[in-house]
Amino acid sequence: MEENKTSMICSKCGVPLEPANLYFSYLKHSFHTEIMRCPKCGMPFIPEELAEGRMSEVEKTLEDK
Amino acid sequence: METFDEIKDKIKNKCLEREDPQCISCCPFRLDVRDFISNMRRGGFNLAYRQYSNAVGFPAIVSEICDAPCKSKCPRAKTGGAVELDLLEKACFDYASNLNPNRYNLPQKNKKIAIIGAGMSGLSCALRLANKKYSVTVFEKSARIGGSLWNMMPSEIFLEDMRRQFMYETYELKLYSEVTDPTLLLKEYDAVYIATGKGGNSFGLLDNAQINGIPFATKHKGVFAGGELLGANVTEAMAQGLTASNTLEFYLKTGNMKSAPRTSHTKLTIDTAGIERSAAVIPENRKRYTKEEAQAEAARCILCRCDICEKYCPLMRYFGLMPKRIEGEVHITIHPGTLDGNGTVATRLISTCNQCGLCGEVCPQDIDMGMFLRLSHNAMRDKDAMPWAFHEFWLRDLAFANSDSAAFFYKPSAKSKYMFFPGCQLGASNPEYVLKSYEYLLGKMSDTSLCLMCCGAPAAWSGDYEQHQEICGEIKKKWEECGRPVMIFACQTCRKFFADYIPDIKSISLYEVMLKNGISCPSGENINEASVFDPCSSRYFPETQKAVRALLKNSGYKLKQLKYEGDKAQCCSWGGQISTANPLYTKRLIDERCSDGELPYVVYCSNCRDVFAGSGKEVKHILDIIFGLSDWNTKRPTFSARLHNREYLRTVLAEKYCGEKAAEVEKTALYMTPEVENKLDRAKILEDDVRSVIDSCEEHQRIVADSGTRHKFGYGMVGHMTLWVEYEAEKNGWRVFNAYTHRMKIEREEVWNGRKQDLDDLQ
Repeated sequence: MEENKTSMICSKCGVPLEPANLYFSYLKHSFHTEIMRCPKCGMPFIPEELAEGRMSEVEKTLEDK
Repeated sequence: METFDEIKDKIKNKCLEREDPQCISCCPFRLDVRDFISNMRRGGFNLAYRQYSNAVGFPAIVSEICDAPCKSKCPRAKTGGAVELDLLEKACFDYASNLNPNRYNLPQKNKKIAIIGAGMSGLSCALRLANKKYSVTVFEKSARIGGSLWNMMPSEIFLEDMRRQFMYETYELKLYSEVTDPTLLLKEYDAVYIATGKGGNSFGLLDNAQINGIPFATKHKGVFAGGELLGANVTEAMAQGLTASNTLEFYLKTGNMKSAPRTSHTKLTIDTAGIERSAAVIPENRKRYTKEEAQAEAARCILCRCDICEKYCPLMRYFGLMPKRIEGEVHITIHPGTLDGNGTVATRLISTCNQCGLCGEVCPQDIDMGMFLRLSHNAMRDKDAMPWAFHEFWLRDLAFANSDSAAFFYKPSAKSKYMFFPGCQLGASNPEYVLKSYEYLLGKMSDTSLCLMCCGAPAAWSGDYEQHQEICGEIKKKWEECGRPVMIFACQTCRKFFADYIPDIKSISLYEVMLKNGISCPSGENINEASVFDPCSSRYFPETQKAVRALLKNSGYKLKQLKYEGDKAQCCSWGGQISTANPLYTKRLIDERCSDGELPYVVYCSNCRDVFAGSGKEVKHILDIIFGLSDWNTKRPTFSARLHNREYLRTVLAEKYCGEKAAEVEKTALYMTPEVENKLDRAKILEDDVRSVIDSCEEHQRIVADSGTRHKFGYGMVGHMTLWVEYEAEKNGWRVFNAYTHRMKIEREEVWNGRKQDLDDLQ
């Protein structure tokens, strides 16, 4: 996370992303988790490892719930 | 077509999956022969003995006197001799290391039962009631126990077995005690079982049913009768004694008198055609089996059950589920027991079925589980309970196929005798398939019209019944516009869907037309030996299967039969479009189908071609052979290329037949390495979608940049899917480094913009 914090910059605001809560929804369920976001405009960044790792697991769990 | 409830009812009431085999059905003790045999064949004599003992009560006695009625019904009788179950019974007794019964420490029950007659029916009943710790008294008018067994075997065998089975139980035995009126016993006892043996006293208590041999409830409340008294033989009498214990216990608990249920004969019949002949094992000493002989004989049993659907259905084998369990799981999935819808266990199962219908074809009861799962899909979709992700890609694909960019309709004259319906995937796979086929057809029948669009199968597979109906209506309208022509199908799936949902349309396959009207089919240059892989939907059109083979044989191909073909044709994996819902199963299925035959496959469904080509199998579509198109190793087109192929096909057709000049559409260039291109294709990410996400990110400057690599990251929605793209500018386009998706939707991001301070409490 520390690495992400310094390396990812919001193009619009020119500031580094910081961890902040982000809300998600899938199949009538909603939840939130801490994600790197622009502190000014809120633009989030979801890395591939997260999308294809933990998020994908949760998606499958919800599909089979 | 059958309704959901009709199929459901058939699964519940007609499916023979749980029907007993003949041997169990005719066994007085209903010994679970399949379980017994399974233990015996692996040498599990202790377990087999325990199971046998539980079923018969007195294993030493029954193994000696059992006349094996099962042998006359065994399907093995016709293929080497019935399984020698009587010898196997003796073997389990001979080789079990511990013959003693189990000892259970249960509290004594405060009910008293009187049994009249110490023959085998009475003692069997006494044994089971004593096992359950009821207080049992047996009245015997003579001086000895065992009844008719004294005339059948040496007394040491049965007396020893009785001693052993009662070793941990107590019961009171009253010898020289003749009962004159059982009803008087009810003053002291809670229930009475009359088992006075052949020609014994029935005390005038038997009702009509019992006089006709149906045991248990007599005319008097609390008094039951069974055994040889009612005309049973000794083994039947023992079995009745065991069952009587349950009937008496039921009476003690509820006060209700029951008779034995009428035994219904099993409906299970076994087709012995495919069973290899194997002679029954004869014991070397002519009397009893050795352990090895017993195991070898047990191995001859074919464990009769109705599982033909499972044999042919990879889905049932993958999930380890048979029709009744599937019905149960589907029911609770559609009607979950909790308010938040937990327990939808079969969602993925429903979405993994290829709906090929083979289960229904082979089922002796005509139960089509594929159709059941398709209709379950409808029900789930109606409740908005089916994950959109399973079918969204394919529904977008359908929408594109039927959009102005890809769909095309042409009629050379006001009325046509024939209409060519190539289906949407044929041209996606290779536009030349459609162009050359239509050219050929026009050469033979110049008024043939052309309807290029999707038949709606993906909508039906996804449970979207309304959309499917809408598409059927649209097609029907075009068909009527052309004077109700005979439809020529390249895709047998389209044809099957039309046969089911628009039955007015008469159909023929492209390959039959080609065979009938003649076409030169060049012989193979380096490969002329192959196997025809029939698409699953061709099962309903055997004349098409024949035509394809005839075309190939005419051109000199030597054809080798596959394990599954003709009326047993299996799905290549495409049916039902299951790959998103269950990629693991899809992969396994493709591997299975690829290994059905070693030779290269000739197919006549472009989906089969692309599925096999995608996994490295040497394959050609028959149109490749006829028109000299793709080679045996030509790769399948990517999903992006398929869309492009469709656009191209439409453009060429419109120009060629309608003189339409295509408008130049300029798309921003995307540059990517072959690895990235493959990755996108595997994830079913379309280049057009990547392009539109980048455009949107650039327009709104919704971009995150990596300060090290300078790569840009942005996301956009593709349908319900969130697509992330990693890219940078290059020449007049974009260099794409990566793209990936997630199904979860990012919420509330929009409210952050400019109004963050108002929502701090939510963040």
